[in-house]
Amino acid sequence: MVSFEILPQLIINGLIAGSIYALAASGFSLVYYVIKFLHFAQGAILTVSAYIFFLFLNILGVHYILSAVLAIISALLTVWLMNWLVYRPLRKRSATGIVLLIASVALLMLSASLMQALFGSSTKVLNLSKSNITYTFGFLTITFIQISIIITAIVLFLLLWFILKKTRLGKSMRALADNKEVSQIVGINPEKIYFYTFLIAAFLGGVAGILIGLEQNLYPRMGIIIIIKGFISAVVGGITSVPGAIVGGLFIGLVENLGIWFLPSGYKDVISFTILLLFLLFRPQGIFGVKKRDDT
Amino acid sequence: MIHEFLFSFVTFLFIYFLVAVSLNLTIGFTGLVNLGHMVFFGVGAYTSAILTINGVPWYFAIIVAGVVASILGAIIASITVRLKGDYFAMVTLGLVFIAIAVSRNWISLTRGALGLPGIPDIFRNNFYYTLFTIGVVTIAIIIIYFLTNSETGKIFQAIRDDETATAILGKNTYFYKILSVAISTFFAGIAGSLFAHHLNFIDPTLFDLELFVFILAILISGGLASIKGTIVAGFILSVLITLLRFVVVTPELIGPMRNMLFLVILILILIYRPRGIFGRVDV
Amino acid sequence: MLSLKNVSKSFGGVKAVNGCTFEVEENTITSLIGPNGAGKTTAFNIISGLTKIDKGTIRLIRKNITNLPAYKIAQSGISRTFQLTKVFKNMSIKDNLLIAKKTDEEEMKQVLDSVYLEKPLDTIASELSYGQQRLLELARALLMPHSLLMLDEPTAGVNPKIRQEFKSILKKLKKQGKTVLLIEHDMEFVMDISDFVIVMDEGKVLRVGKPKAIVKDKKVLEAYLGK
Repeated sequence: MVSFEILPQLIINGLIAGSIYALAASGFSLVYYVIKFLHFAQGAILTVSAYIFFLFLNILGVHYILSAVLAIISALLTVWLMNWLVYRPLRKRSATGIVLLIASVALLMLSASLMQALFGSSTKVLNLSKSNITYTFGFLTITFIQISIIITAIVLFLLLWFILKKTRLGKSMRALADNKEVSQIVGINPEKIYFYTFLIAAFLGGVAGILIGLEQNLYPRMGIIIIIKGFISAVVGGITSVPGAIVGGLFIGLVENLGIWFLPSGYKDVISFTILLLFLLFRPQGIFGVKKRDDT
Repeated sequence: MIHEFLFSFVTFLFIYFLVAVSLNLTIGFTGLVNLGHMVFFGVGAYTSAILTINGVPWYFAIIVAGVVASILGAIIASITVRLKGDYFAMVTLGLVFIAIAVSRNWISLTRGALGLPGIPDIFRNNFYYTLFTIGVVTIAIIIIYFLTNSETGKIFQAIRDDETATAILGKNTYFYKILSVAISTFFAGIAGSLFAHHLNFIDPTLFDLELFVFILAILISGGLASIKGTIVAGFILSVLITLLRFVVVTPELIGPMRNMLFLVILILILIYRPRGIFGRVDV
Repeated sequence: MLSLKNVSKSFGGVKAVNGCTFEVEENTITSLIGPNGAGKTTAFNIISGLTKIDKGTIRLIRKNITNLPAYKIAQSGISRTFQLTKVFKNMSIKDNLLIAKKTDEEEMKQVLDSVYLEKPLDTIASELSYGQQRLLELARALLMPHSLLMLDEPTAGVNPKIRQEFKSILKKLKKQGKTVLLIEHDMEFVMDISDFVIVMDEGKVLRVGKPKAIVKDKKVLEAYLGK
């Protein structure tokens, strides 16, 4: 049995994992909210950003701030390519949500294979001197990286909230999410707003990729694993609700980490998927979503 | 040497045919986008492997593999087929991660990440095994072909086109969707069993998404709801990835290059030819 | 034959149907009319089991069919069409009809003739024009064994020729003594063909009566023209 003393540590670990899931979920949710499809390739953005960060920081020896900037730029370029080459042509021929979903899963897996081809299948460790700093409070241990993750997550979420609620772009995004036809009549160009939405999501994904890389190391499939958890978080929070996705991420992170009171840690995924299933079956609108009228 | 290579190629080819055709039954004919199809393939493989390692005769093990996969499929379907399209797809994708976690952690049954070696051959001679696989797969595909042209098959297609309309014509769509998954997963289980006895070794990487995406690329390139298309595309893609082995010199690159090749094909088909080679149904 | 008693249904606080009570008598054509958003289509979906109700009872020939699954209600004898056509678009005309009833080509051709759809049986539904798809949907609904036929705006969105065809089909059905529940916006046609008219507004039944009485009713005029 797990001793009671580690409970605070489990909660902290849960919050950190939760912040990571929330970072992954927020971009994903944002795209679902505005563009209405499951953008699993958000996971590819995370992977690309993490590996580019690794490339500049550890292979080419570039300063970590510059490496981070370059990694985020690569994330933005990746989403631009994806939208231009795959999503936009599919939207043009009015492909269904399922087709976009399959295409985005294919892009996600493509990123894993590409990273495997370029960097090999072994796990990569990011060497950043700061990442070894740890703080201990009684039973609790927390690293500098973990503190950065929580702080960055909070800052990004405030920024996202600000964009959505206070800027013209945010208003256009919300209008488009609410009703595409009406938004077009009032002069909103959907393709333009979609593009900005993808860029914002990619920015969130790019930052998340760097932090996740520092916290959990790099491997080609990292994006697949993280975005699946991001998806579960988004569903739990209410998939069209960006704040919901954040709460959902924290919830899943906590439940998974506290779950090891009952189950071996290898079953973490089983816990989160059971939660996903329960939500989809009994509260598909999530914690924050609103149930829609089901006919006209 | 070249014989052995050819036997192995044909055996895998026919196993992929069966996996893809059985998946076509749910995705193409019934419109249920089951992204967790390989879970049932893997369950079939593990069932058959564990039974035969423990001395159960192979002919019994193959059938049980299909039945276990099918029962599991029916149970999961009975919970999930009420979910709408996107969500059904995602939950079935989630099954993959549950399967990976369970096969890695239920060590007393699966030996975890070490995998199960020493799965007995059904025939000493690989040529006979290839013939056996061709026979089983051909029979299975003929059964699926007749099923899709039967009244039940028409109801599956009606559900795909418009579930509400099917219900108001007096058909219990919930039941038929479960039936479709149960039949599809039965054949996936059989295919898994054939796979296990061909490789003689399985481990949790069986559930990895790579093989699934390969199958999905076959299905979509061939065209949904077209068994002929699935077989033609299965053949073309299998030849392509085999040829790739001779083009790519570095052994570590073969895996990722192969994946990239069929992922790109999948994406191109989705964009430029959504009905695939022979399909009559849009993706 | 069909009776609704105190049927209510709300969607997230909005009462789409609010204490509806009405009956459809055997061998009559009954029309359901009312302004947009009156709850007519919701009433149809409730009767055919696609929408579950919060309160009330629905009976078909004494059998309680309240909140039964849609397929069981269909098996009990209710056949219907939709405002937005629901044909199986990737399937042939023949297969579309087969789902409704296992029958021979002879009977299929008869029913297609009766709805003026002259197309080979192996034509894929998506190759038909929208109007033709509506005719196919009607043929399918007619073919399915039923005691009550419900038609949701059969003439909406089709060209004048097919509109005329629908009208003459309905007249034939009336002659045959079929029981039909109809939603229709063409008032002249409704008043001409109906035995009874039910007027709905804001989820409630406003008036039930013979067409002649309904046309003169003040309340009905108010509902249509605003208060």
